[in-house]
Amino acid sequence: MIVFWILALFLIGTGVFTITAQKPVHSVVGLLGNFIALAIMYLTLNAEFLAVIQIVVYSGAILILFVFVIALLSSGVKPFDVGPDRMPKILWPAILLGIIALGTIVSSLLRTTAAPVTSSTRALYGQTGDANAFGSVTDFGTALFTSNLLPFEITALILMVAVIGVVLIAGDDAPARTKPKARNIPREPIAR
Amino acid sequence: MYHVLGIDGSFPLLYFIWLAPLVGAVVLWAFGPRLKSLAGPIGSALIGAAFVATLFSWNDATAISGTSAGAHQSMFSWLPGFSFGLLFDRLTLVWTLIITGVGFLIHVYSIGYMAGDRAVARFFAYMNFFVFAMLTLVLSDNFVGLLVGWGLVGLASYFLIGFWFERPSAVAAARKAFVINVLGDVGILYAIIVIVSKVGSIGYGATFAGVTTLFTPHELFIVCAAIFVGCAAKSAQVPLHTWLPDAMEGPTPVSALIHAATMVTAGVYLIARCAPLWTASPDARALVGAIGALTAIAGAVLGVAQWDIKRILAYSTMSQIGYMIMGVGVGAFDAGVLHFLTHAFFKAQLFLGAGIIIHHLASEQDVRRMGGLRKEMPFAFIAMGIGVLAICGIPGFSGYFSKDAVLYETLLAGHPVLYGIGVLTAGITAYYMFRLLFVTFFGPYRGNVDPSDLGIRHPELAGTAQSAGHHAEEEKDGHDHGVHAPAWLMTVPVAILIVPSILIGWLAFGGENSPWKRFFAPVFPHASGAAVAPIPELWSGIIVLVVVAIGIAVAYWRYGTATAQAGSVERLRLESVRMPRILTNAYYFDAAIDILFVRPSRWLGRIFGTVIDPMVIDGGVREVTHTAGWLGHLFRSFQTGLVRGYALYLVFGVACFVAYYAWIGAGR
Amino acid sequence: MNPSLFTVPMENYIALSAVVFFLGVTGVIVRRNPLIMLMSIELMFNAANLALVTFAKAWVNNTGHIFAFLVITVAAAEAAIGLAIVVVLFRKRTNVDVDEVAVLKG
Repeated sequence: MIVFWILALFLIGTGVFTITAQKPVHSVVGLLGNFIALAIMYLTLNAEFLAVIQIVVYSGAILILFVFVIALLSSGVKPFDVGPDRMPKILWPAILLGIIALGTIVSSLLRTTAAPVTSSTRALYGQTGDANAFGSVTDFGTALFTSNLLPFEITALILMVAVIGVVLIAGDDAPARTKPKARNIPREPIAR
Repeated sequence: MYHVLGIDGSFPLLYFIWLAPLVGAVVLWAFGPRLKSLAGPIGSALIGAAFVATLFSWNDATAISGTSAGAHQSMFSWLPGFSFGLLFDRLTLVWTLIITGVGFLIHVYSIGYMAGDRAVARFFAYMNFFVFAMLTLVLSDNFVGLLVGWGLVGLASYFLIGFWFERPSAVAAARKAFVINVLGDVGILYAIIVIVSKVGSIGYGATFAGVTTLFTPHELFIVCAAIFVGCAAKSAQVPLHTWLPDAMEGPTPVSALIHAATMVTAGVYLIARCAPLWTASPDARALVGAIGALTAIAGAVLGVAQWDIKRILAYSTMSQIGYMIMGVGVGAFDAGVLHFLTHAFFKAQLFLGAGIIIHHLASEQDVRRMGGLRKEMPFAFIAMGIGVLAICGIPGFSGYFSKDAVLYETLLAGHPVLYGIGVLTAGITAYYMFRLLFVTFFGPYRGNVDPSDLGIRHPELAGTAQSAGHHAEEEKDGHDHGVHAPAWLMTVPVAILIVPSILIGWLAFGGENSPWKRFFAPVFPHASGAAVAPIPELWSGIIVLVVVAIGIAVAYWRYGTATAQAGSVERLRLESVRMPRILTNAYYFDAAIDILFVRPSRWLGRIFGTVIDPMVIDGGVREVTHTAGWLGHLFRSFQTGLVRGYALYLVFGVACFVAYYAWIGAGR
Repeated sequence: MNPSLFTVPMENYIALSAVVFFLGVTGVIVRRNPLIMLMSIELMFNAANLALVTFAKAWVNNTGHIFAFLVITVAAAEAAIGLAIVVVLFRKRTNVDVDEVAVLKG
């Protein structure tokens, strides 16, 4: 119980810090804290494999990607200069809308009664695998490679498409784009 | 009373009579410029062929079998009760003979009169079109066909009055005639609507059969009054008469054919055709008779004040048609139709004779500048003299029989006041017609006198009426335009017309047993009961003769005596100067129409043109475009190009969705 | 132990997920730095993942975990592409501000 509230506070706090930090690097750090708190929360939710994946993939790979891009964009230019704010009055309407939507979700949550989960429902909706090992690697792996194989393969495809897309969009200075400069190759002196 | 629908269902010769002039009109319209001088003979030949065909159909037209009379050709049926066809009974026969016969003579005359005009083919096309339209009017067996012919005749009149359209006065006269005629069309249309609503059919037969059973007396009067509005417009009765004098802007053959012999008598035809309606409505008869008499005397009085030879004849036409209308109005149908017949001949002759004079005098139309022409133009003198004798009702000439018949039958029908007015008019007619004769043909020739000495105030208007086409020709060739047309083309038709002017009245000789009465006995219902005659017919004739003689004597005393002739210049000048203004302005009818109708219409048009059209209608359209533009600007303001703005719109949409499904629910 | 039993009521987790989600939304709208906008989007993904895992536990169903896993993967791909776009867009500019990229205006 206490764990939940501490983690919740931490999540919200780092979230606020992320969106309000002045420097992008600070935001990255805030996001890192957010992910770690989230991983611990997954652990409390019996999602052990997912917790590890969260740390490894999200904070280990994606955040590093962000850091690299920040480094790339800060080189050679005045770092993160900003132009005039074109929509100065947008802050409060956005917050207002957010609160409205949030309030709607929460209030509808409070009004509905969740379906009682009994042992019989568990039998209906239960996945194959030992109930004691719910959320474990075994459980997860079995599900991933048997009943959810197709999404898995398609995800691999998506990743490949993403890589190709990145290469296309950001692309290197391919030799085809720039004419090769005429190089001054000194000619062999004629043997005299 | 006979069923007016003809005997058989098929009489194809009617198609030829009806359509031959149309063929002529189309051919001359289409190929006019290439035909040039052939146009006249072609047009005349087609009308002549129609006339011959009419003669061939005499037997079928006069045939009577059972309760049907004449020949009938049905054309097509649109709805039950709305069938169109051609009818050829005795009444139609008389009109068709005049239309095609006199029409043919006038066409031949026109070949000579209009020779050298640069649009001669168009003239003959219009004349043929007019004959076609008039035949449509008299040959129809239903009211709608009649109305079609009615309107087309008005159109032909517009074409022909404004034939020399370079003259603004001609264009204005044509427009005036057409507008007044359209007013008459509305009257007839209203009558048709009432008839259809009561009878359910547009045919003459069905309508006349149900006169007493399907109409209340009030409705019958309304129908007759509406029909009479049309007749008044077409036949130039008061108060719709103002177009007829101005219609003299057209060429003289036009005035002869349309505005003397045929078109203006269409009203008389309609009333005679609808005899059963009139017989059943005494109020309508009183109305028509009164207006006919009023027109007769009004026209005659105005004729006294005219100096243009064609205008004198125009007002005399108006007056004589007043006689015809009075005749058919009070129920003397055959008398009215007889007067139409005689009038067609002698009026056409008068107009054609006037045309000869005008043509000879290089388009001079003012009688003050004529005089002494009986030595120079003996043939014209004889022709017009005979015409004048006929119109005055001198015994032995045709007009005598018809005019006496009309007057006496009016008295028999119980209208002594109308009889008195008619007799008085006869005297005035004699006066101004003999005035015309004396001033034109007797005394010294005044063509060389300075116009102001004669009292002519606008010399530049005189003498250019008939010449728009001719002057162009003259300026080109420079030679006297009286030379380039053979005189016989113009004199022979006039000579031919002399014979019926004298003789045709004798058809009515013999009182009740005359050939005329027997001819029309099957057609017109006779009033029941013998009328008590207040005076014998012989006495009525003597009264009329005395009045006519007084008129002639006054005219002779003023214009015909030797002293009058010698001092004619001074006498005419004095008369021009002293002419009462009310007469020269035609009782101010034109001014009244201008104030009552023309100015308010112009004012209304101005309001529409300056206020309503630009502000309301254009403004409405402009407002639509402004709104479209404004909406466009509004939607454009959403496209800021800023990512954050778009993201906000997205969130707003999501918030709306979420709120909807949370609060209102996801559906049934 | 029954894995479907929550010590903390399930609604708490869902509410928390919603809060973090709308924090992310606010971040996207308010900030002008494209990198921070992308990070806010990652926040939103994670909030969704939290909700998924919560329900997976409630129904004792692995599918939630699988789904969350796939979300992570797709988020990675999307972040990669987004960052590539940011790099290309802001290579030659003096400042890094999405408001300057208003080519679609009008």
